[in-house]
Amino acid sequence: MESRWTWRTLAAPGVAWLTLFFLVAFYAVVCVAFGNTNTLNQPVPFWNPLDWNVGYVLQVLENIWNGEEYLTVFLRTFAFVLISIALCLLVGYPVAYYAARHTGKWRGLILLLLVLPFWINYLMRMLAWINLLSPDGWGTKVLHYTSIDQLFIHLGLLSTEGGWLEGQPMTVILALVYGYIPFLILPLYAALDRIDQRHIEAARDLGGSPFSAFRRVTLPLSMPGILAGVVLISLPMFGDYYTNDLVSASTSTSMTGNQIDLLTRQGAQKTEGAVLTLLLALVLLVFMLYYLRQTRRAGDSASRDE
Amino acid sequence: MSWLRNPWGQPRFLPLLTGAYILWSIIPVAIAVLFAFNDGRSRTTWQGFSMRWFTGDPTGSVAHNPEYTAALEHTLILALICVVITVPLGVALALGLQRWRGRGSGSVNTLMLLPLVTPELVMGVALLLLFLNIFNGWGIGTTAQAIGQVTFAISYVVVIVRGRLVSIGREYEEAAADLGAPLHGRLLRVVLPLLAPAILASAGIVFALSIDDFVVTQYLAGGSDTNTVSMLLYATARGAPTPALNALATITLVLTLVTLALAYLVYRKFAGAGGAAEAATLGEM
Amino acid sequence: MEGEVKLETLTKSFGAVVAVDGIDLHMPPGEFFTMVGPSGCGKTTTLRMIAGFERPTSGQILLDGIDVAQTPPHRRNVNTVFQSYALFPHLNVADNVAFGLKYRKATKDERRSRVAEMLGLVQLTGFEKRMPSELSGGQQQRVALARALVLRPRVLLLDEPLGALDARLRKDLQVELKALQAEIGVTFVFVTHDQEEALTMSDRIAVMNGGHVEQAGPPQAVYEEPQTFFVADFLGVSNLIGAQARGKDGNGCRIQIGERSLMAQQGAIDAQGTVKAMIRPERVRVEPQNTPGDNRLPGMVEHAVFLGSFRELRVRLPGGDVVKAVFPNDGSPLTFDEGTPLTLHFPPEALRVLAPSTDGAAPDDVPEEESPNGH
Repeated sequence: MESRWTWRTLAAPGVAWLTLFFLVAFYAVVCVAFGNTNTLNQPVPFWNPLDWNVGYVLQVLENIWNGEEYLTVFLRTFAFVLISIALCLLVGYPVAYYAARHTGKWRGLILLLLVLPFWINYLMRMLAWINLLSPDGWGTKVLHYTSIDQLFIHLGLLSTEGGWLEGQPMTVILALVYGYIPFLILPLYAALDRIDQRHIEAARDLGGSPFSAFRRVTLPLSMPGILAGVVLISLPMFGDYYTNDLVSASTSTSMTGNQIDLLTRQGAQKTEGAVLTLLLALVLLVFMLYYLRQTRRAGDSASRDE
Repeated sequence: MSWLRNPWGQPRFLPLLTGAYILWSIIPVAIAVLFAFNDGRSRTTWQGFSMRWFTGDPTGSVAHNPEYTAALEHTLILALICVVITVPLGVALALGLQRWRGRGSGSVNTLMLLPLVTPELVMGVALLLLFLNIFNGWGIGTTAQAIGQVTFAISYVVVIVRGRLVSIGREYEEAAADLGAPLHGRLLRVVLPLLAPAILASAGIVFALSIDDFVVTQYLAGGSDTNTVSMLLYATARGAPTPALNALATITLVLTLVTLALAYLVYRKFAGAGGAAEAATLGEM
Repeated sequence: MEGEVKLETLTKSFGAVVAVDGIDLHMPPGEFFTMVGPSGCGKTTTLRMIAGFERPTSGQILLDGIDVAQTPPHRRNVNTVFQSYALFPHLNVADNVAFGLKYRKATKDERRSRVAEMLGLVQLTGFEKRMPSELSGGQQQRVALARALVLRPRVLLLDEPLGALDARLRKDLQVELKALQAEIGVTFVFVTHDQEEALTMSDRIAVMNGGHVEQAGPPQAVYEEPQTFFVADFLGVSNLIGAQARGKDGNGCRIQIGERSLMAQQGAIDAQGTVKAMIRPERVRVEPQNTPGDNRLPGMVEHAVFLGSFRELRVRLPGGDVVKAVFPNDGSPLTFDEGTPLTLHFPPEALRVLAPSTDGAAPDDVPEEESPNGH
């Protein structure tokens, strides 16, 4: 009916905006990373690719290659993320499973309560834990009363009694779990919800126990959802700096995000910060594109009638 | 132990675990909200119920703390600006993308989805460098903050509106054209009214996103007059603040939840599709 | 009176798929014209091209002599009733009907009176304030009609409008639609896959298949004188029996079915070689075994079906073909158990020769030779 230009024109402002404030912004990172610094220690971006200066990039790469702080912190970040995601899955999968397979009247309420943390300010959720885990907080008291803190000290997971908020890797990991687990549960829920109940019934019908039906039908069918969810939360986790700042505030638990934050926003060395950001983005790019491919597939099948 | 293993249904530990998770998820925040109403200065010892930290206390309460009120104001202004810019841009982009004929739609679609998967830190750094080196006319500050928020919020609007567009289909537009309506008539009298629930719902979501946003907003902040509530929370949480901080956080929490409840109700009333579908959509993002 | 539509070599391709292949159709003004055919035959695509929702790949659409193929739909004086009615859900009945009037020069009072007039015509007076979701299927269809007709189009296009309704309502609405068309005199172009519907309602039909027009003409003519296998098979039920044609003999064609020689007075009467003999089940006369006379074949009852007001018999011929015969249930004492031998009489004036080269899709035969295309 309409000409092909009608709709492109409508889309144009949005496309222009995203190009300008997203794509060009990324180009700015690249140009600063391959740029130089002036005498005031401010970055001088080189806009022409032919002028690009690999100096700072090489510096950072050398740092990593020699196992210096960029590498150690990245490895620590990687460990934090890995452990956090494992814990998220451990708790999140059964919860998502229950919510998805449960058909009782509480389903709507459960779903609502699972979605709720999405909309509570992340920082407020961290603030809540700061209150609870401060030396005289209710959380600290409960943990002391149940001797869990003694257990943790014993296991080497806590260094001093009541020092939950003082540079404890464990606290950071648990905070990450608390913060990001809702972002895993919902995609898991969606994936598990989509599994046709009849597949599972068929497995039971053919003589399987509930557990084997789960292991051989539900689990494999939910694997794409698991992967998608894991990818979805690992992306922001790798860039997290504020969780560490809030529940630990110690350089002994700093993450790559903290390094980037220090270099860029806190001004120390924006060029180097840009390089580090670029490297991080490249590493995460693989995950980003994988996730995009999955969502495109889902979106295509939804809009096939167009 | 046998009570936990129910041969006819699911193992009983599942509802227990889910219940425990939900409690663990919500109770800490509930306690933080509770302490906003604490009568004393402590954030950890309950001293009785009071509204002092909201309005009562002449020096400490939110209402009397210029830093807090300024932050609250700035948060709301940013949110409003963000909604006003994002929603029209997003709706137009959704329409254009959905009906795009020919090549290029795949790339534009990918471009639209990228902000959703990009870690906010990366976006924050990118936008910071953009505003320091290219748009240094604007520099960092309120304008930059607004622009940054719009950039990642557009995708939410597009996804929500497109979903609704797909379920509406093309027939009504064809019928309108058949009856003599030119393009603007079709859009104004048929498409937009039918999209209204999705548009309003996405406006609510953008508003909530903006209020709760942290990284991009912080990275593009200019001076202390561009502080938002999130930034204040980050800056002072570990200090020795009074429950007024809790009160401030509670205010924005209530705002967010009310906005979302309204958005959900609007969508439900006019579309009948249910907010659970929206939540699932967002979850799939 | 206006409302004449002519399609000239109209073609529509979607990529490599040719949906409509160079068709020519003429729809005289003021008539009820139906395009009928199976799914995918191109009838809906053709209708959408007349409406303007699809742009033809090539060809012309002449509306009262003017080619409108490149005119956008909102500027053609043609209106459509959609299969799902497409009533605007956010507007009430009156606003739906009045929708298009906004683009005509009409005052508010004029609009109101025209809406009222239309609602009266479709017998929905008093429904002005109702919302589409509160209406039944039949009522929605009438609102859709009113909405289109209020604009006084020259041509009204109807895309399987009765498809979503149950059988009884359909029959009633078929009669109503036909009466309406006769009353207001607007050209109706109707699309359906239901051949019975097409035959009932139309002044003229076009049978389509695979993007082509197999045959067009008044319903009775097309039904009784099908020119291709496809048309013979699609409209009503027909028996298609393999036969050998021996050429013209007097005023008919001498054909051989099995051992017997018969005369066929319809169709390609000077055909030679392999052909199909076609006869409608209602024209087959069932007679007791061994009845003497011309144009008779022996057969054995394979299956007898009682269909209420008439009976259907399936009779197997010696050559293996199965012939359907139907006759009214007049309480006749003849019994038709399985295996009963009897005689079938094919009156020559009801027997039609169809030569293979004039076919759409011949179900069994692969044409071996090019027979002359005769009639």
